[in-house]
Formats: sequence, structure tokens, C-alpha cells
Amino acid sequence: MNRSFPLALLICLIVTTTPALAHSPIMGVGGVFGGVIHALLIPEHGLSLLALGLVLGRQRQATRRAGLLIFAAGLICGLVGAALTSEEMLAADVLLVATGILGLFVAALWMPPFLALPLAAVAGMTFGLDSRPDGISGVEAIRMLAGSGLGAVLALVIAGEGSVYLRGNTPLIAARVAGSWIAAIGIMVLSLRIVTRITVG
Amino acid sequence: MNLQATNRVAAAVAAATRHLLPLALALAATPAFAHSENGVAIDFWGGFTHPIFGPDHVIAMVAVGLWGAFLGAPAIWLLPVVFPLVMAVGGAVGVAGVPLPGVETGIAISAIALGAMVAFAAKPPLWIAAVLVGAFAIFHGHAHGAELPIGADAVAFSMGFVIATGMLHLTGIAFGGLSHWPAGRIAVRAMGGVICLLGFAYLGKFL
Repeated sequence: MNRSFPLALLICLIVTTTPALAHSPIMGVGGVFGGVIHALLIPEHGLSLLALGLVLGRQRQATRRAGLLIFAAGLICGLVGAALTSEEMLAADVLLVATGILGLFVAALWMPPFLALPLAAVAGMTFGLDSRPDGISGVEAIRMLAGSGLGAVLALVIAGEGSVYLRGNTPLIAARVAGSWIAAIGIMVLSLRIVTRITVG
Repeated sequence: MNLQATNRVAAAVAAATRHLLPLALALAATPAFAHSENGVAIDFWGGFTHPIFGPDHVIAMVAVGLWGAFLGAPAIWLLPVVFPLVMAVGGAVGVAGVPLPGVETGIAISAIALGAMVAFAAKPPLWIAAVLVGAFAIFHGHAHGAELPIGADAVAFSMGFVIATGMLHLTGIAFGGLSHWPAGRIAVRAMGGVICLLGFAYLGKFL
């Protein structure tokens, strides 16, 4: 065995390590489908869709449909913004705040439309802005953003229309508990992010 | 002869060290987590196991569920809803580094008080139960928040952490469901007594 082998092996192993990205696309899955998965597998995105779906599901049909459309409109604006900008924004934090408020609404089973609809707009916009995949640019990024938008709208439709059927005592209690968990996660993560930002800079 | 053998062994050890040690070190390297500090993985599993590996937390969370089931509706869902919300506020205070005196003592007292409530079949007004559970949740949240590793992102960690807490409540509620039967009622109250005693044991440890 050559003396330089251990050193060469070490160098090879170090070189082959990859950076851990918070918003990394799923390895080997790109394009529109990759975007759909990207939209659904990021925990805070999934939580926001669940919380908004639970809130919209408790609205009347016209308000619920309006909420879906408002979310979709905000999402398109956000996705366009994400495609045009490359700088890190506070979208993830604002999305988390909106998610936490929606979670509180679900926990309290108090979801007035005059608050639910603006929150749908904020959630859509920030969801789109926060969907930019790391380390990818050009046409592939646009494909993934389109996939993210498609996945988000589909998931929200399923969550919103599905939660219409949450009737009776037990499903509503489950919804309240889920809302409290979502709000709690929002509070914890937001505080951690703020402290991290202050500490790390 | 002995010297030769010793030399041979020494040479073999030196060769092994030269060739195998770098390989062993490279293989022993753990993945670089984006959201970690001091080698603690801030992922869903890390968060999920965080409350479960704290027995003092576990007994208090189970007691919340037990008491909720014992009190019946709406306490059966209100207490597990209040607890994570207030716990998150306590966690935020802990994450911010704001000191809270007697956190461990407070956690032990929470097990004593909640266990005693179940053991003595106490049925105070709902708001008193909610305030009591909320007050104790501050201590639990602060302890978790203060121990939370600072990382770039911790959504998955917090999800695991909150869901594990909820699961412990559900465990208590499930066991508390036995209180519908006379023998089960005795078992639930006995469980409350055990939690209370364990709380005293933890209190003795911290004082």
C-alpha cells in the first residue's frame, strides 16, 4: 500500500462530501415534479398548507373558494418574485408567523373570514417567495417553482375541501389539537430563528 | 527472540496505525447536519426523543392527559391544547436565554401537583385546571427551550418535540379512559399517586 494512500483517501472523502442545504431539491428529482415534492416536503410549507386548509375548511363555500383563489394569486406573485430575485428574504419568517396565527385560529375554532382571507394572501405570497430552490438557476429553477406552485395549490385544495368533512366532536377536537401543535411549532421555531440570527449575526 | 517479536508487533501496529487510522477516522465521520450544534442532530427524531428521554417531563405530560381524561369534556381536550401553546411560550423564553428560577424544581412540582390532582380525584373549575396546567407548562417549555441547540432551522425538531409531547398527553388520556369503570378508576388514581411520588423523588434530587 502506497504511503500516500491514506492521504489520498481522506482527500477523496472530504471532496465528495456535499453541503447540507436547508432548501435543497431532492436528489435526482428535478423539474416540475421535483417542485411539487419540494413544496410538500418542507415542513413549514406543509404546516402552513395544513393550517390554512383547516381554516378555509371551516368557512362557507364561497369564502372558502375565495380563500383558495386569493392564496393562488398571492402564490403566483410570490413565485414570480422568487424567480426574479436571488436574495434571501424574510418570507420564511412571515410565513411562519402567518402559520402560527392560523394554528391559533384552528385551536380556538374561531376563524373569521375578514382575518382568514388576508392571511391566505400573506401565506400564498410568502410561500411563493420561500420556494426558491437552493443551488439551481435558470429554466430548471422556473420549472421547479412552477411545480412548487402546482403542488401547493393542489395540497391546499385537498386540505381545505377535506377539512369541510371534519364534523362532530372528535374530528373537531383533533383539529383543535392540531392547531395548537401548529401554533406551538410556529412560536418555538420563530423564537429560535430570531435568537440564532441575533447570536450568529 | 522476544525483542524480535516485540519489534514485529510494534511494526505491525505502526503499519496499521499509518494505514488504517486515517481510514477509520474517515469512516467514523458523521454526516454534516445543517441544523446542528455540538453534534446534536436537530431533526424530527432528535426533537421527538427530546421530551421522551426526560422521565420527569414524561410523567408530568402523562399526568396532564390523565387529569384531562379524569375531568372529562371539555378538559380532556382543553388541557392538551393549552399545554403546548403555553409550553411554546416558555420555550421561546428559554431559547432567548431569559433565566427562570427553579425550572427543575417547577417540573418536579408539576408532577407532584398533577399526580396529586389525579390521585385525590380533584375536580376544580375548568379555568383553574387550565391555569395550573399552563403555569407548569412554562417550566417544561423553558427547560426544553434552554436545551434546544441553536441551529439554522429547527422546524422538524420542533415538530418532533411538540408531537412527542402531544403523544404523551394522548397516552395519559388513553390510560385515563379506564376511569369509566370502577376498577379502572382505582388504577388511574393509583397511577396519579405513583406520578406524585415520582415527582417527590425528583424534587428531592433537585433540592
